[in-house]
Amino acid sequence: MISLPPRWMLFAGVLATLALAVPPFVIARVRATPDSNRAVHLFFDMDFQPKFRPQSANPLFADGRAQRTAVAGTVARGEAGLDTHLSEGVVGGKWADTLPASMPVTRELLERGQGRFNIYCSACHGYGGYGDGTVNVRAMTLMSSSDGPANGTSWVQAKSLHDPIVRDHAVGMIFNVATNGIRTMSGYGAQIDVADRWAIAAYVKTLQLSQNASMQSVPPELRDRIKKEVK
Amino acid sequence: MSRFLFPRWSNLLLPTIILAATTIPVYALFFVAYGFSPKTLDVGYQPTQVVPYSHALHAGELGLDCRYCHISVEKAAHASVPATQTCMNCHTLIRPDSPKLAKVKESFTTGLPVQWTRIHKLPEYAYFNHSAHVSRGIGCVSCHGRIDKMEIVYQNSPLSMGWCIECHRNPDVNLRPTSEITNLAFDGTTELSVDERAVLKDKFHIKPSDDCSTCHR
Repeated sequence: MISLPPRWMLFAGVLATLALAVPPFVIARVRATPDSNRAVHLFFDMDFQPKFRPQSANPLFADGRAQRTAVAGTVARGEAGLDTHLSEGVVGGKWADTLPASMPVTRELLERGQGRFNIYCSACHGYGGYGDGTVNVRAMTLMSSSDGPANGTSWVQAKSLHDPIVRDHAVGMIFNVATNGIRTMSGYGAQIDVADRWAIAAYVKTLQLSQNASMQSVPPELRDRIKKEVK
Repeated sequence: MSRFLFPRWSNLLLPTIILAATTIPVYALFFVAYGFSPKTLDVGYQPTQVVPYSHALHAGELGLDCRYCHISVEKAAHASVPATQTCMNCHTLIRPDSPKLAKVKESFTTGLPVQWTRIHKLPEYAYFNHSAHVSRGIGCVSCHGRIDKMEIVYQNSPLSMGWCIECHRNPDVNLRPTSEITNLAFDGTTELSVDERAVLKDKFHIKPSDDCSTCHR
């Protein structure tokens, strides 16, 4: 018969074995739960370097930005706005009816415009341009809250791009609205490149045409197909 | 005077020591590999931001495209945090008096930036380029997870070197058409066939390198 060690020793042995099971549980828990502290760095290597990266902070400047903003009054090359057609959508004091000469209207341009429209404009104007975007819908709900507009909300229904007045706008004016905003709409000049804003303006004109087209504007060979597919 | 004799149970010591000497190194190895892995240490980092901005509301419920705010992601290495003006496009009119927006309004009046806490951070000797990935079929969700379901954003992926290389060696599973780049619900492995992904790989000329200098320079 095997003779066993004293009880306290057996007990300590079992306890030590059980203690080994604790770390895996702790680790599994750490893995499963979010933590508001960044992981402790034991070995820094060169993970953090004395250099400034985009949008990082530099305490040497009063505003704390490492990225410096342009000095007031300076103009970057190519951004003088001398070509009013390109930068403002204005030709000879009137809204331009055409895109700038540097931007021929192609399928690629319109598809680019559609993509950009869906990113930046559809939030309020909706994918179809009827002023029924998700942001607009939510804001209108806030406006009609029974306790009055929540937290000072003062939303105005987003314009339908198929409103007869908007439909008559020249492409240059639509470009200008996208750039500088109008009434309660903010300008997107800082958010969207000039070429993309023109692509959007061209797409808006296309969208307007598509939603207000007559059978006469369809090429004769495609009319049968339209009649068959569109009810 | 009686002599000291080892008790009979001390015969058990030898097998016990052998057992411990073989299992404890395995256990220690497991402990380090599992416990010190970036999947344990780095994933799930969820700092409290100065503005309680909800991606679940803006990107999820309202369906705003990621690029509405992160405008530089297709053009630059860095995916920019939006300017305060971007918030104010809507929030001059929507809930302008909400206490949650106090810091945004303060930034808008003073011109000083909102001090967001950075979550996703690579070691500074690694150079990741967002535009190179986003314009060639790697969607946001591959690294950032379902941001559109996160009330407060947390780090979804380990962002470790092994994790990067895993995809560089087998990028096909993460490819998607450029039109679905910001569609976080799109899953290329179920919605695209193997052949379709091979076509994408060809189209985008994807030959990811796993040389050191690809990311470290």
